[in-house]
Amino acid sequence: MHPRLRKALTSIFSDGFLIIYFMFALFPILWMILVSLKSGTELFTTQFVFTPTLENYQAILFGDPRAAAGVVARVDFPRNFLNSLIVSSGAVVISLAVGVPAAYALARYNFKGKETLAFTFLSFRFAPELVVIIPLSLIYRQLGLYDTYFGIIWVYQLVTLPLLIWVLRSYFEDISPDIEQAAMIDGYPWYQIFMRILLPLVRPGLAAAALLAFVFAWNNFIFPLVLGASTVQTVTVSALGYISSAQAFFNRMAAAAVIASVPQMMLALSIQRYLIRGLSFGAVKG
Amino acid sequence: MKHKLVLLLIVVVSVLALGVGVTAAQDEFNWRAYEGTTLHLLLNQHPYQQALVGELDKFTELTGIEVTYDVFPEQNYFDKVTIDLSAGAASTYDVFMTGAYMIWQYAPAGWMEPLEPYINDPSKTNPDYDWEDIFADLRNSEAWNLEAGRENLGQGSQYAIPWGFEANAFMYRQDLFEKHNLSVPQSLDELVSVAEALHAAEPEMAGIVVRGSLNWATIHPGFMTMYASQGCVDYDENMIPQMNSPCAVEVTSKWTDMVRNAGPEAWTTYTWYQAGSDFGAGKAGILFDADILAYFQNQPDTAAPEVLGNIAWAPGPLGPDGALRTNIWIWSLAMNSGSQNKDAAWYFLQWATGKEFLTTGAVDYSMVNPVRASIWENPDFQAKMAEQTNYLETFNTIMANDAKIQFTPQPLFFETTTEWAQALQDIYAGADAQTRLDELVDSLTLQLQDAGVIE
Repeated sequence: MHPRLRKALTSIFSDGFLIIYFMFALFPILWMILVSLKSGTELFTTQFVFTPTLENYQAILFGDPRAAAGVVARVDFPRNFLNSLIVSSGAVVISLAVGVPAAYALARYNFKGKETLAFTFLSFRFAPELVVIIPLSLIYRQLGLYDTYFGIIWVYQLVTLPLLIWVLRSYFEDISPDIEQAAMIDGYPWYQIFMRILLPLVRPGLAAAALLAFVFAWNNFIFPLVLGASTVQTVTVSALGYISSAQAFFNRMAAAAVIASVPQMMLALSIQRYLIRGLSFGAVKG
Repeated sequence: MKHKLVLLLIVVVSVLALGVGVTAAQDEFNWRAYEGTTLHLLLNQHPYQQALVGELDKFTELTGIEVTYDVFPEQNYFDKVTIDLSAGAASTYDVFMTGAYMIWQYAPAGWMEPLEPYINDPSKTNPDYDWEDIFADLRNSEAWNLEAGRENLGQGSQYAIPWGFEANAFMYRQDLFEKHNLSVPQSLDELVSVAEALHAAEPEMAGIVVRGSLNWATIHPGFMTMYASQGCVDYDENMIPQMNSPCAVEVTSKWTDMVRNAGPEAWTTYTWYQAGSDFGAGKAGILFDADILAYFQNQPDTAAPEVLGNIAWAPGPLGPDGALRTNIWIWSLAMNSGSQNKDAAWYFLQWATGKEFLTTGAVDYSMVNPVRASIWENPDFQAKMAEQTNYLETFNTIMANDAKIQFTPQPLFFETTTEWAQALQDIYAGADAQTRLDELVDSLTLQLQDAGVIE
């Protein structure tokens, strides 16, 4: 076979495979969007042909006039969406403030109990939430943290902090101490070394870890369910409200899910640059 | 003599005056005794809850009691209730929505406040409350003396107040029944043959939908109604499980055969939602479940065009002795025994289960089925329900017969009934009914022994 033909064929096959995989991977999202555009009467048809309607989006964003009669579930979606934004970003910001120095310390310094401490952080992640939820709920009620933003942001540290510390720790470990020492010789104080030299170097890792932490916080269900109520109710909990006793409004739920996935997609797209680099680049190789 | 007459007159007049005074005091029930208190409610996302939220201002206006509420989706509602109640005095909520079966789990744990001291105290309960107006079978289904056994239901303390309820009924597509010359089944055998005939005539659709998921809720609607009407019981007087009795084996095997031959393909995943939406979407010809489920499906925004207006109601099939024993589900309101504002909470409970609110809920909102007999006689409500073919007639027949909780109260209700559903699934998948139900009975007997329910 002619080498050029072979090359062309290979690329057709690999592109074709990629396209098929792409369709396979994105089909659930496509299906979600399709369902969100269906009316109640067409919801359970499995054909792709239907009359699209924006009524679901309208209902979840601006309220449903029929909700007053009690047949249609009433969910304050915009407010729940805002709650999700507040608690997820709050949790990530605090994790960054606490986790970045912690990761640096764990990577760079040797102190007694270092591995034990690092492992303790990790254990927050692998201990099932259900194991701690009942004692936590008692403590939260007694401390008055039940159904407060602060309470949810705090408990989300169990989700976001270990992830951030462990991802960033390996990034800091990859940076040679030589770079820091060179900066010291140049006369930089330690905080400037940290801010100007180290942080830019771990930026890809920072972006990747913060995004993942945000996604995990955003998707969390059990903490806001048990430790929160109407004040802080997040999208994950309230979206179930579209399955009311009267009917299951899967179309509303799909519309809510489409909107709720927008922040994550936007974040992922905006830091995509770092994500790809973050996986392949290090400051000093070898 | 004259003096005596005057004296007598004075005595009579003052006694009368006193009497009038006492009556006046009773008439003027002080709704504002707990003005300024704040109550917290824990509510399930539900049409009843939406009616309540819509009218809540009226309660605050009447009593001066502020009310805040948290609403959670039904999927996780009872997890939330269980966790909150277990916090005891530290718990957040004064009043919560509950089902009647949950009493068997919550009351023995001491989480529910007995309500009869409030109901029976004229200083705490307004004279218009009319407790007797709530159907006696519903009231009794929520009174319990904490002892396992059929005869103990309706005894002891009142742990919850009925708020709205569901009676299990036979709901069918009238147009298809007419087209294929089918009639409403009057017995278990007719139920099976009608479902199969409908499926044969309309192969695209399931003849019948009933619940089938691995959950206690699979047992309680249609299945339990048929089981009870047939004359079977879940436990005998010594709390020995009876799911393997000849009666039970017959109902179970005919039921699973029916589902296999005429039911939906993915029956073992079917919950309230799948059963209801299949029926509303025109994918099934019969629904044997809560009467209100088809009511909610028979609405312009959910029913498929060919379904809308073509749904009709009938009571479940009768047993061999002609008996109709309908199982019910009761949404209720209960008081948290850890509440710090119990008297104010009772004010809320008597308002929310009172005639005025429940009538508004039934007429202007979707609080079906009302628990008060007076509301069923309300012409506005009757006019509203008359649009649903034979709904009122069916309801009246059901209530004139034995309509109550047909299960035996016992603290392991959810575990044991879920295991019962597992047995149904296994028999559906091909296991021998007698063998599998014998196994079920052995397993439940052991569990009840471990829990100290039987010796």
